[in-house]
Amino acid sequence: MQIWLPFRRAASPTTARRRILPVLATAAVTALALSACSAPTNTPRGPEFFDWADVQIAADGQTVKLWMWGGDDQGNAYVDDVLAPAAAAQGVTLERVPIADTKDALNRVFTELQAGRNTDGAVDLVWINGDNFRTGKQADAWFCEWTDLLPNMTLVSDSDPLLTEDFGTPVDGCEAPWHKAQFSFVYNEATVPNPPTTIEGILDWAEDNPGRFTYPAAPDFTGSAFLREVLYSVSGGYENVPSVYSDDAFAELSPALYERLDQLAPSLWREGTTYPATSEQLTKLFADGEIDMMMTYGPATLTALVENGTLPETTRVLTVEDGTLGNASFFGIPSNSGNIAGAMVVANEALSVEQQVAKADPAVWGQFTVLDLDALSADDRALFDALPQSPVVPTFDILSQNANPELSAEWVPALDDGWRTTIAAR
Amino acid sequence: MTAVQSRPRRQGMRATLLVLPAIIPVAIVVIGGIGTTVVQSLGLMPLVGTPALSVDAFESTDNLLGSALLSLGIAVVSTTIAAVVGFFTAVLIISGNWGGRIVGALSAAAVTVPHLVGAASVGLLLSDSGVLARILGIPPESWPALVAGPTWFAVIAEYAWKESAFVALIIVGTLATRITSYDETAAVLGASRGARLRLVLFPLAAPSLLVASAIAFAYTLGSYEVAWLLGKTYPEPLSVMALRLFNSASLTARPEAAAVAVITLLLTAAIVGVAMLGLRRMRAWQ
Amino acid sequence: MSVSTTSVSLDKPVVHPPRRMPGDHGSPLTQSRGVARVLRIVSTALIALWFALPFLPLMLWSFANQWMHPAAFPMEAGTDGLTAAIANGGGRAFLHSLLLSLVVAAIATPLGAMAARALSRGHVRFGKAITVLLFSPVLLPPFAAVLGLNVLLLRAWVPPAVGVVLVLVAVAIPYTTFSMRAAYAAYDDGFDDAARTLGASSRLTLWRIHLPLIAPALARSAFLAFLVGWSDYLITLVVGGGHMITLPLIIASSASGVGNESSVAVLSLSAVIPPLILLGFIARTRNLDPGKQR
Repeated sequence: MQIWLPFRRAASPTTARRRILPVLATAAVTALALSACSAPTNTPRGPEFFDWADVQIAADGQTVKLWMWGGDDQGNAYVDDVLAPAAAAQGVTLERVPIADTKDALNRVFTELQAGRNTDGAVDLVWINGDNFRTGKQADAWFCEWTDLLPNMTLVSDSDPLLTEDFGTPVDGCEAPWHKAQFSFVYNEATVPNPPTTIEGILDWAEDNPGRFTYPAAPDFTGSAFLREVLYSVSGGYENVPSVYSDDAFAELSPALYERLDQLAPSLWREGTTYPATSEQLTKLFADGEIDMMMTYGPATLTALVENGTLPETTRVLTVEDGTLGNASFFGIPSNSGNIAGAMVVANEALSVEQQVAKADPAVWGQFTVLDLDALSADDRALFDALPQSPVVPTFDILSQNANPELSAEWVPALDDGWRTTIAAR
Repeated sequence: MTAVQSRPRRQGMRATLLVLPAIIPVAIVVIGGIGTTVVQSLGLMPLVGTPALSVDAFESTDNLLGSALLSLGIAVVSTTIAAVVGFFTAVLIISGNWGGRIVGALSAAAVTVPHLVGAASVGLLLSDSGVLARILGIPPESWPALVAGPTWFAVIAEYAWKESAFVALIIVGTLATRITSYDETAAVLGASRGARLRLVLFPLAAPSLLVASAIAFAYTLGSYEVAWLLGKTYPEPLSVMALRLFNSASLTARPEAAAVAVITLLLTAAIVGVAMLGLRRMRAWQ
Repeated sequence: MSVSTTSVSLDKPVVHPPRRMPGDHGSPLTQSRGVARVLRIVSTALIALWFALPFLPLMLWSFANQWMHPAAFPMEAGTDGLTAAIANGGGRAFLHSLLLSLVVAAIATPLGAMAARALSRGHVRFGKAITVLLFSPVLLPPFAAVLGLNVLLLRAWVPPAVGVVLVLVAVAIPYTTFSMRAAYAAYDDGFDDAARTLGASSRLTLWRIHLPLIAPALARSAFLAFLVGWSDYLITLVVGGGHMITLPLIIASSASGVGNESSVAVLSLSAVIPPLILLGFIARTRNLDPGKQR
């Protein structure tokens, strides 16, 4: 009440009082908004550690929030039941934040940086790769040069191109590898007795079997990878597509891609008038027998899906002669995390032989290891060799034969946008 | 200061104090939300680089008109269905017999379902190999393209379903108290069912029907989950476009996303504004 | 003259509960007969089907361990969905959702009621402008909050939990204000005046006369505000920044995966139960609503 006293003698006190309020609110908000305009300087930040012991001391008692896609029950269970207890044993509490899309995590970090919150971010660790990593790097959103400190990085080959570059973006110690993946075509043995063996063969098969094939709409991760597969195929192999993006290369190579997909469209599910929005919707179509062939960038999950009856027992992974895209996924630490040391401890633990073996078990998660198997001790190697074989998914060696390298991340949005305007809008 | 003078002043101050706690959070959220969105759409709040005023974001977005028309179409159709079904549902509930009670419980259950769940559920129900197709034994090839089809059937159905329950709840909640006595009076005076519906129930329910429909309309224009999950790839409604741009892993797409948000906001405000003018006229003749 | 008006059934008045008040639902005066009755039953059934049908997949999937196309019904019933839902943190998320929604309702309801009281008595200057402002959050697309507001909140160092509550309260205020205004429009100030005239203090009047009289309307408003918190996804996700894992967040992340239908169905059904219980309580608050006693 005291606050309003000065206005009491005004000719029309209530008016003055109420007029001042919106004005004040607007002024305050505008001031805040304008101060937000001065773009924060995103110079690389983060604490400095001398050695691993230093990290361990700093990590003790920290709580690490790991933001990861939550649509995979096996992955969730692995993190909660296997990785988190191992982290807890080292004094780090690991909390999983389930999200529907990895971009939710990235956008959170961006917004925090936009607001100048540089030391207490809500995201401590993200499961990430590809264009998300590149965008984050462009915005200086990652804590960098930390992977050399991890003792378990010695188990990883430092010349493996899948791990030194992430979709053509140099990793530069800004993310620690977690697992490898291979783009895979999947078919139903019962309905496709003689599957094609090349990408072009798959497209021809689709045209011979109208309505039995489709792919997710870009910019879905899997749908976008399919565009690159077809680009390699119509260009006569990945050797003919320069990994580094240029407008000239795009103008030269992309018309053949879109022409092929345009030609294919009438033979797709629903005559190509619409596309599944996500790779999960695609898998659903396959599970319900609406299509006979699909694709995934995460073959690891197939075993469990067949086992729990979501996918038919006759589900098989197709190995194609021209090879498919391979990539690795990583743990990134945002530069504004308040628990960087703890996040490093978790990333290191995830790279240990025990964790990588446990994670590679198809009954647990079935994710392919990033460790250099040839450099492991005989005992450790034996652990990997002893893993049960999945009845659905071939081993990584077979799957990654003739593996194609990923294009640089700049290609991804260019191909996606082109697809939207030429194919989706046709 | 005499008592005569001080009374309205004290009342005014008391009224202000009563309104203030509600105004503060709303003002922060609305002014802050709209302000920052506009500022971002004009390029004044870039993720990286220096701020520079420009309207590029409004021009660089492709097929904005198509998306706007699609958004409007979905919102108009689903809100109309919701208003009609919601009104009749409210009439049934107010009648208070056992059927009304069942409908009341079911519509209340529908109100409580988050749209996200509603979308997932409608998808499971109506898709080519969904629950309905399975129970009726219709193969996917013969099932109409309700989900992700050219008619946007599933999207409209989900909005109409949820919002009709909301409309019913609002009408029942705000007018049950008055309607029954008027209705009984009219019945005693010999008005037929149809006449009572037309001359008593509808006019009494109209203001809250209009407000509830306006809320439903604004929600339909602004939310994205349903259209994203159940809609067609292309063209896309404004809200889906905004979220896709916002989520695209590119540092330059944020102003474009904000521009789409501003356009959505203007559209919503214009149409709801017209509805509110309608409400004022309605109050005038009531 | 219609059938219904002439057929006032004096022969079975005992059917009605003894506490029935004039103006309550379902008077014999407004009950239908004959063709109208058939029409009414059919339309009731259709509307019931309209509201019930989308629950069908949730019910069926909740107890389906395995249900492959094209089987008409689940092939194997069981509780796998429930197990998976609990393993994914469904229980904790349920509690978080409950807490958040109750806090939102506890704040937005009194704020809305106070504002509605002041606005309905017409003592507020710029009443129309304020009404428009208080209604405006419903026009704000949730993604506008995602885009802009969060930067502001972070910049102002608002803790995530407070930010979520603030935004959700603002979103809930239009609903509570509107529903309380409708109640106050029918409220008779005479009750308050009479109490004051009889010597009751203003506090006593508020607690013993005013609040009990508007209790049903308050309960309805609280329910709407509860729903705002209960069903929100985007604001909790973005403003909450992972500090608050509520039921919709778990549902969304589970639903984004494949083969999770049964756990999503279990989570979704469990999301319908608490509001329904609340609604049951509200329906039982026997009306002291002045509007009904007039």
